[in-house]
Parts: sequence; structure tokens; C-alpha cells
Amino acid sequence: MSAVIKFFSRTHGKNKLSFIDWIAYLYLFLGFLIIFLPVLWLLLNSIKSQFLLQKLDTNLLPLDYDRVVRATVFGPDGKEIFIIKDLPDWVIYWNELRDEDKKEVNDPNLFISKFEGKEYYALRTHLGLVSDHAKELIEEKNFPEWLIKYPSMFPDAKKEYNPEEYLINLNEEEVRLLSEFLGLKPYKPNGFTSQILISAKNKETNEIEEYSVSRLNTNKDTVNARLISNPQGGIVKIPTDDIIVNKKLRPSWINYSDPLTNNVRGMSFDAIKCLNNSVFVTIIATIITVLINSMAAFALSKYKFNGQIIFFIIILATLMVPASVLIVGIFKMVSVTGLNGTLWGVIIPGAATPTGVFMLRQYMLTIPDELLEAARMDAASEWSIYWRIVFPLSLPAIAVLAILSIIWRWNDLILPMIAVSTTKTAYTIQLCLLDFQGEYVAQEHYRLAMTVVSLIPTTLVFVFLQRYITTGIANTGIK
Amino acid sequence: MATLELKQVRKNYGNLEVIHGIDLFINNGEFCVLVGPSGCGKSTLLRMIAGLEQITKGDILIDEQVVNNISAARRGLAMVFQSYALYPHMSVRQNLAFGLENLKMEVDEIDKRILEAARLLRMEEYLQRKPGQLSGGQKQRVAIGRAIVREPSIYLFDEPLSNLDAELRVATRVELKALHARLGNTMIYVTHDQVEAMTMADKIVVMNDGIIEQVGAPLELYNKPSNKFVAGFIGSPKMNFIQFDYLPNSLKEIAPSNSTSLGIRPEHLSIKDENSLSLNVETVEQLGSDSFLYGTTSGEQKISIKLNYQTDIQANQTIKVGFKLDDAHWFDKDGIALTS
Ligand SMILES: Nc1ncnc2c1ncn2[C@@H]1O[C@H](COP(=O)(O)OP(=O)(O)OP(=O)(O)O)[C@@H](O)[C@H]1O
Ligand SMILES: [Mg+2]
Repeated sequence: MSAVIKFFSRTHGKNKLSFIDWIAYLYLFLGFLIIFLPVLWLLLNSIKSQFLLQKLDTNLLPLDYDRVVRATVFGPDGKEIFIIKDLPDWVIYWNELRDEDKKEVNDPNLFISKFEGKEYYALRTHLGLVSDHAKELIEEKNFPEWLIKYPSMFPDAKKEYNPEEYLINLNEEEVRLLSEFLGLKPYKPNGFTSQILISAKNKETNEIEEYSVSRLNTNKDTVNARLISNPQGGIVKIPTDDIIVNKKLRPSWINYSDPLTNNVRGMSFDAIKCLNNSVFVTIIATIITVLINSMAAFALSKYKFNGQIIFFIIILATLMVPASVLIVGIFKMVSVTGLNGTLWGVIIPGAATPTGVFMLRQYMLTIPDELLEAARMDAASEWSIYWRIVFPLSLPAIAVLAILSIIWRWNDLILPMIAVSTTKTAYTIQLCLLDFQGEYVAQEHYRLAMTVVSLIPTTLVFVFLQRYITTGIANTGIK
Repeated sequence: MATLELKQVRKNYGNLEVIHGIDLFINNGEFCVLVGPSGCGKSTLLRMIAGLEQITKGDILIDEQVVNNISAARRGLAMVFQSYALYPHMSVRQNLAFGLENLKMEVDEIDKRILEAARLLRMEEYLQRKPGQLSGGQKQRVAIGRAIVREPSIYLFDEPLSNLDAELRVATRVELKALHARLGNTMIYVTHDQVEAMTMADKIVVMNDGIIEQVGAPLELYNKPSNKFVAGFIGSPKMNFIQFDYLPNSLKEIAPSNSTSLGIRPEHLSIKDENSLSLNVETVEQLGSDSFLYGTTSGEQKISIKLNYQTDIQANQTIKVGFKLDDAHWFDKDGIALTS
């Protein structure tokens, strides 16, 4: 231990830090930051809420803001903009919930019954209750069936009907409901967005008041804000320095728990299945890779046969072929052999690697031939020479190959894309991460969290096996 | 228990022939030593007997059976390598057991044999250690033990002692000899150390450049070398050779016809006048029990003399050295020994 301390506290200058020491420390520190900051950034961002990520929040820590909802309601008096405070998350993110969750977890009818007026209308649109309520009304009043289909008709078809006549005998509430459903003027679908709550001094009243802001970019001089007590008053510019933002450290653990419990809003993402697939591919492929490569290396290093050099050169030459060139070939191979859609289609095409063969061959060349001859005198078969003598003696190099293979396989995207991209149940973690993007809304918060999860195995492999890497690489070839 | 016979055995590496047709018969229970200068093909010959090296021509017979195409594993021989070739990742016990396991032997029998070998070679204490934790001498025993447990018909040794220090080499030499006496197996032993050859062998095979120069019992080779090479190779210090032309007339007269050189061992020369040469002494080495004199005679012929007493002869002195006629060896122009 004292040797370690002595090692680390050693200086160039005698008894004090010299110029060179400063430079060295600065260099080390910079290097550390360059390597460590992106990782730290990823870790901290992975526990930021979806809201923060969408607002391109630049804080390092997951500091969440107080949130409000900015709603827009249309009516005979025109557009009305107002703010609703203190809504639960599930309401804010209603559109991204899966259908099962919408019904099971929460009852929107019960929830909006606590509101009235414009807030009620906004929430009714947001929670998708307009069509339910309208259908009930149509049935109750015995209005014709086509009214229900009217909103989904083509514009040409709509001309043949006149829905306005049914509004005549209805009360004000019913007119609004049916008009919103049918899309009749002056009603329109109501708007609903989540915003940040800030406080600032009102220039006119000189009092601290609450504002709602859609995006907070502290690099700009002013912030576009809407006064909550008078939302109709329009956007005002507030100097960034004057605003008071209420931030709370609120890590969003659901980024992790939702995907891992298969509970992602709006899409099915089975993280456990993905991880299982990746673990299976990684372990089986690594075992096969180690076996195949070490057998090839054994033959190339310990037997003399015609064309030995040629074989070795051909194997090495494949190192120069970029993986992307092989995509089509591998795809054809995989589909011809019927391996597409199965994990074996991911495992088998990459099982033999020129790097591995080369590395192991070089290492095995350092094993003295006399050992093999001794084993032959000991009546060992060629297989047991390989399995009981050469394989155990090459373990340092094999460990290096195994570690590299684990990392390659775990992080590989190309082979899974070639082999299993059409079969969701066979997705590896990297494909699953890619799948988060696209189809529905961006789910960056889950993607970041799952990226962190996907880094854990390779990190563990590195932490626990890095001494094999260093000793193994040190021993390979230079013994 | 087996005999070994080589018939016109040859070995080529590509176009280069390194063993040029060797005939040899080794009897059951014989301790046969192959000696020769470095690179003469001793190891190659031994490895061919073991089956590790293909033979290019000729036959190898073990117990009168031709074994040319039988693999090393199935010839039933055991070999001790110069570098010991212990499996570094196995304990001593596993090293010993490996060959027996390959023969599908029962576990009880394996244990019994390992214990026997361990007792014989006094290596019980380190059966559980790995080769890396053993001294050179201990490794040597393990290597020999690995051969013993197999109970082979013939033991092959390739310079097994050359990695040991001088003292240990002498001790192990004696032990090996005792082991041979106890086991009674046929053993073939390669060395380039003639002391090992002289002390251990029942039969010495002197090789040079891929051929056998002479086969015989140790003293036979010493007393009656059949040619100049064997005469010079066996015996330490080396035999003195003096070209016929530079001999004094008195010696020329008694030489057999066709002689071109005279060979005389340093220990057979003494300070006397009869059959004598005059010698200009250049260096004197006093070892206490023995004294060595080095010098030249006429024609710059180098001569060394071993005296088994302390002497007061000084460098740059000229002395007369003589020998008994019985101790003289005469060789013709091809280096073949002539009988006087
Ligand atoms: N694999 C090979 N290819 C070509 N020539 C070889 C090969 N192995 C040995 N030789 C040659 O064969 C000859 C005999 O070699 P060998 O190893 O038998 O000598 P040795 O008598 O055992 O010498 P030493 O006492 O130094 O061990 C040498 O000239 C050597 O160069
Ligand atoms: Mg040799």
C-alpha cells in the first residue's frame, strides 16, 4: 500500500512540484475528463425525465422543474389560452399510454369530473373522451348512424350530409360536444402541452408572479413566457437573469424500471427478452469462437502441412475486408441456410475471426514443441494434446480473445440486423435500443437508460478481467 | 524388456541427408549410450527410434517387429527430454498420471504406480506442486518419473543431465545407473559428455556426422579405438596426435607400415628417455594431485602430458617425454587404426 502511495506521489521536482509535474498532472486530469465526462453525461442524462430531455435541458444533474399545462380551447368567442397547474403525470402523458394501461390504471371520466368549464373541455379532448361522449349523445337522441362515421369521411362524401341541422335543438354543452366531435366551426380539437413553471417580477405590477415557459435556454438573454394569471395576455419577454426557477433534484427512475418491467407507454419493449437474447448470443458465440479459433490456430501453429502458409495468409487477408462489404453475402448465406430469424443466424456467421486465429497462433508458437512430443510419447491422442495441453497453456491469449469476443458480440449491430431484423422476438439489446427510435414518439429517456443497462455487462467484464487482458496481451507473441 | 535393432536407417531433411545408413543392435537390458559431437545426429536418431520423426529409409525393429509405421504413442517407449518437457499447468502428480490416463488405466493402478515412482525417486513431498515450483534437479526426477510410471519396454534419454550443475549431474548420473540396475530395462542414452558415456554405458555408440564410428564397451573404446576420430573423442584430455614425418627416427623405425600418425594419450606419457620425444614446455598447470604440461615438439606438433604427481618442471624448459610401446596408437592416412 505504501508503495502505491509512494508511486502516485512521486514527483519530478525534489520535494515540491516542478513545472513538469504540473504539466503532467494537468495532462492526466484532462485525459481523465475527456474519457470520463461523456460517460458521466450519459449516466446523468439517463435519469432525466422525458420532459427534460425533450426540452433539451443542459443541466448535468436531473433537476426537474415544476410543471404546468398550457391548454388552448376553441369556442364561439374564439381561441382561449390558459394554464392548468398540478396535473398528475399520467394525464400529461396520456397520449403515450398503451391502451391496456389507459383502461386499467386510471379512470379518465372520474378524473375530469373534478373539473368544469374550459379546463374540462381541454382535458376531455386530451383524454380522448370526446368521441365516447358524442356517441352516447347520438344514441340517446336517436340521431342517424352516419353521424358517428361523419368525422372519418372523405371531404366529398361529407358534402352529401348536413350535420348542422342536428345541433338546433341541443343545449350549449351538447352543441359543443357534438361540434368538437364532428369538427364543425367554430369548434376545433383543443390543444394541450406541458410547460415549465417559473417566477419573475412583473414589470407592470412590480410583483413576483408565475409564468409558464415552453423552453428554457439559459444561454439566451430573454425567455418567452406567458403570465399564468393572465394567459390571454400573450407572450412577454423576460430577461433570463431575472427569472426564478424552482428546480428539484428528481431522478426519473422509471426510465429504468418501465422498460425492465415491460411497462413502456405507447409501445411494447421487452427489455428482459432483449437482454436474454444478447446474453445467449454473447455466451454461446464466445464459446464457439474460442473453440473454432483455437483449433484453427493449433493446426496452423503446430502441424506441418502443404499450403500452411497459404491458409494463414488467406485468413489474415480477410482482415482487410471491411465488414460492411460482407453484409449482402452474409445475408444471402443466412437466408439460404434458413438461419434468418433465429439467434443462430447471429452467432454462426461471426464465429471464426481472423484476429482471433492470428492472435492465438502467435501465442501457440511460443509453446515448445517438446511438450507436444512428450504428450505424444505419453500416448495422448491429437485431440487430447489440443484439449489438455495446448488449450490450457494458451489460456492467457484465449482469455483476451474471449473478452474481446464478449465485447464485440454484445455491441454488435450489423449481424443482428442482417439475421434477425424481421423477427422481434430475436432482437438483441442493440437492436432493441435502435427500435426505440422511430415508429411512435421519441423515447429518448428510455433509450438512454437502456443504453446504460446495456453497458453494464461489458463494463463488468472489463473490471474483473482486465488483468487478463493486460497480462495476456503482454504475453502474446513477445514471450 | 525388449531388444532394438536398426537396419540401414537413413534420414533426410529435404535433400539433406543427416543420418547415413545406421546399423545397430541393442540387447535386452543393455544401457547403450550414443555419444558424438554436437550436430552429429544423436537426437535425430533417438527421435526416430521414439517415433517422433519419420524415417526416410531402413527399418527399426523392436523385439523383432518392424515398427516403422507405428505411432510414437503405440511403440510403448518412454522418453526423457533435455528440457524435461513437463506440462507446466499440471501438478507433478498430474504430469505422472497423464500418460496412464491416456492408456485408460484404472485409477487405483495409476495411484499405485505414481506412489511407487515417487518413492523410488524420493519426490513424495512435491507431488502436488507445479513444475514451476521445482528446482532443476527435482524437475529432472519428475521427468524420469514420468517415464518410469509408464513401465516402458525401452527408455530413451536425450541429454537429460545437461541442464544440471556439475555436482547434481554427478549425483543424478549415479542414481540413474542404480535405477537401471534395479529396473533392468533397455535404456538408450544420448549425451555428448564422454564422462557420462564412460561411467554409465554397457555399450557406447560413437557417432560422427550421421554415421557410427565405433560401437563397444567403454574400456574397449578407450584401449582400442578403431579410428582417429574415436581415439580423439574418447578420453580427456584429448589424445595427442603427431604426424609421422615429425617423429624421431627411432620411433619411425618401430612404426607399422603405412602409418601416417602416432596417437598417444597424455596420461601415458612420462618423463623418460626411452621412446622419447623432445618437448618444449610452454605452460604448466599444477592441480595438486595431477600436473598438466603443454608444449610443442618439432614441427609445432602440440603435445599435452598428464602426470599424476607434482612436478618442478618450469615453462620454457626442454624435456624428454617417453611412453610404452603398448600405449601407442598408429593410424593410416584414412585415420584407421593399425595394429603394431
Ligand atoms: N528439422 C530439421 N530440419 C533440417 N535439419 C535438421 C532438422 N533437425 C535437425 N537437423 C540437422 O540434423 C543434424 C543432426 O541434428 P541433431 O539434433 O540430431 O544433432 P545432435 O547430435 O542431437 O546435436 P546436439 O548434441 O547439439 O543436440 C544437424 O546438422 C541439424 O542441423
Ligand atoms: Mg540433441
